[in-house]
Amino acid sequence: MFKWEKLGKIFDPRDYKNESWMQEFAQSPSVLIYEKHVRVYLCSRPAPTPDGQYLSFLSYIDLDRENLLKIVNICKERILSLGGYGTFDEFGTYPISVIRDQDEVRVYYAGWTRCESVPFNAAIGLAISHDNGVSFTRLGEGPVLSYSPDEPFLLGSPRIRKYGEKWYLWYVSGKEWLKTDSKPEPVYKIRMASSDDGINWVKFGKDLIEDKLGEYECQACPDVIFRDGKYHMFFSYRLSHNYKSKEGGYRIGYASSVDMIHWNRRDEMAGMSVSESGWDSEMVNYPHVFTLDGETYMLYQGNEMGRAGIGLARLVSPQDWCCI
Amino acid sequence: MKWSKQGKIFDPTEHVLPNNCREFAQSPQTLVMSDRVRVYFSTRVRDSIGKYLSHVAFVDFDKNMQNIIGVSKHTVIELGGLGCFDEHGIFPINVVRDGDRVLAYTTGWNRKVSVSVDASIGLAISHDDGFTFQKYGNGPIMTSSLNEPFLIGDAFVALYEEIYHMWYIYGTKWKKFVKSDPPDRVYKIAHATSDDGINWHRDGRQIIADRLNADECQALPTVFHRDGTYHMYFCYRQAHGFRKQSNNAYRIGYAYSNDLINWERDDSKAGIDVSEDGWDSQMQCYPHTFQADGKDYMLYNGNEFGRFGFGLAVLDE
Repeated sequence: MFKWEKLGKIFDPRDYKNESWMQEFAQSPSVLIYEKHVRVYLCSRPAPTPDGQYLSFLSYIDLDRENLLKIVNICKERILSLGGYGTFDEFGTYPISVIRDQDEVRVYYAGWTRCESVPFNAAIGLAISHDNGVSFTRLGEGPVLSYSPDEPFLLGSPRIRKYGEKWYLWYVSGKEWLKTDSKPEPVYKIRMASSDDGINWVKFGKDLIEDKLGEYECQACPDVIFRDGKYHMFFSYRLSHNYKSKEGGYRIGYASSVDMIHWNRRDEMAGMSVSESGWDSEMVNYPHVFTLDGETYMLYQGNEMGRAGIGLARLVSPQDWCCI
Repeated sequence: MKWSKQGKIFDPTEHVLPNNCREFAQSPQTLVMSDRVRVYFSTRVRDSIGKYLSHVAFVDFDKNMQNIIGVSKHTVIELGGLGCFDEHGIFPINVVRDGDRVLAYTTGWNRKVSVSVDASIGLAISHDDGFTFQKYGNGPIMTSSLNEPFLIGDAFVALYEEIYHMWYIYGTKWKKFVKSDPPDRVYKIAHATSDDGINWHRDGRQIIADRLNADECQALPTVFHRDGTYHMYFCYRQAHGFRKQSNNAYRIGYAYSNDLINWERDDSKAGIDVSEDGWDSQMQCYPHTFQADGKDYMLYNGNEFGRFGFGLAVLDE
C-alpha cells in the first residue's frame, strides 16, 4: 500500500481574492516543472454570473521548487478564453491536463456547454502556449476528441501523456443520464485513446476500469504515471447520487497495468483517504501524482469538489513500485 | 438542365402520420424499390413544453410517382435517449442501399441554451428493406471537430468506385445580426470519404463557393452522376431574416464536377426556380434527386420549409 504524508492545503483562492481574478475553487491540479519553480495549473472560477451559474477558467500558481508549500506567484489574468456562441467550450474549461512538448506547452481540457434536457455536455479541446506556459490559444474552435457511436456524450477529465513518440489520452466518457427527482445525473467511465500527433486520436473503445460501486459508479480523473516497469493510475470514483455528501463523495482509487489496456483495480492500495477534520475531511479527489527532485508527490482537491482548495501529499513509501 | 414541375405531390395534413405528427413533410429522400418509391421525410409533433420534435415517416408512391400506395403508421426510427445527440429530432434522413441492408444517415438534433440547437450525423441500419431502422450506437458517427465546431448535418451518401462519399454541412459561426434577436447560424457544404460507410475522413474545406456573401447558409447537398459529370443540387439562403422575407429565403443552387473534388457553382444552370405564386413561390429548399424507371426526378420543399408538404419535378433535358 502507498503511504502518503499529507502536507496540508497549499492554495485556496478565497484567501487571495484581492490578488487575482479567482474567487473560489481550485480544481484539477496539473504540474509543469520549471528550473526554479513548479507551476500548478488548475481550474478556478470568478463570482457566479447574475443567473447564479459558474464559468470555469484555466489558471495557475507557482510554487517554490525548494519548498512546495511556498507560493511565489499567482496567475493575475485568465490565460485561456472561453469559446464563442454555440461552441463546445463556451461555459468552462475543466478539468485540464498540461504537458510540455519541445518548445510548446499544451493543455488538454474538457470544454463545457449547456443543454436543455440535461444540464451540460462536454468534449475535449486542445490549446497551445508558445510563451512557456503563460498564455494559451485554442488550436481550433472545435474539440480534438468528441462523440462517437459508443461514446455519446460527456467526454471529459483528460489526462495527457507521451511515452516515446506516442501520445496517450486517458479520459472519461458518458454512458447514461439518469433521471432523478431534480436534475438528471450522468454516469461516466474511464477510457483511453492514442495518437501520433496528439491531435488526431484513435479511441481504444472500451471501459478500462471495472466498477466497484455498481454499474452507476462514476469514474474520473485517470492520472497515469509510468514507474518501475508498470503503469499506475490514480483516479476518482463516486456514486451517481448523493455525491455532494461525505458518504457519497469522491474517493481516490488505484489500478495498475503492464500494457495500458488490462488494468488491475486495487483501491485499497491508494492510501489516500479523507481526514478526520478540515478542508479534506469530506472529499479527496482529482489526484495528480508527479516526481520532483527524488520525491513523489500527490496534488489533490478537497471538500466541495475543490471549492476548499488543493493540497499536497508526499509519498513516504514504497519507493520501488514494481511489486505493488 | 431544365426541370418540369409536377406540382405538390404530398401534403402531410391530409394523412394520419405516426408519432402524432400533424404538419411538416421536410426533406423528402427516396429508396427506390422494385414496385414502389419509398419517400422518407421528417414531420413534427409538439412536446410537453410546446417545442417541436422531428420524427421520420415515409410515404410509398408507385414507380411513376403518380399515386400514393400508403403512409407509414409505425415509428420508423426512435429518437435518442436523454442527453443524446438525436433526442429532439431526426431531420433529415438519407437512405442508401448497401447489399441486403439499407443504411440511413440521420441528422440528430439536440436543444441547447445559448444557441437554440446543435446537430450531428448518426447512422442507423435497416434489415427489413427500410421499414424500420436500428441505430448504430447511441452517439453520432460524425460530429463537431477541431475546425468544424458545431452543426454537422445534412449527410448525403453515394458509392462511387467502392468508395463511400458523403456530402454534408458544418457550422462556421453563430452570429448576432440584431442585438435583441437570438444568434443566427451559418453553415457550408463539405465532403468526406469512407471505406466502410462508418469511419469517415473529412476533406476539411468548404467545397461550394459562396454566392450571396460570406454568411451565406448552404444546405442539403444531393449528388448524381450523368453523362460523365457529377451534378450537385443544394439550397442556400441569407443567414438572417430568411423565415419571413422571401428575398432572403432558401433557393435551389447548382454545381458540377468532373472529379468529385473541384466543384464549379453555377446557379443559373439549376433549371428550377420559385414559382410566380402557389406552394413554392416564397421558398424552395431541401432538393433530392433520384432515378426511377429511367427518369430523373427532383423532390423538394416549398414555402415554410415544407410545413404543407413537398413537390416533384422531372428532368426534361
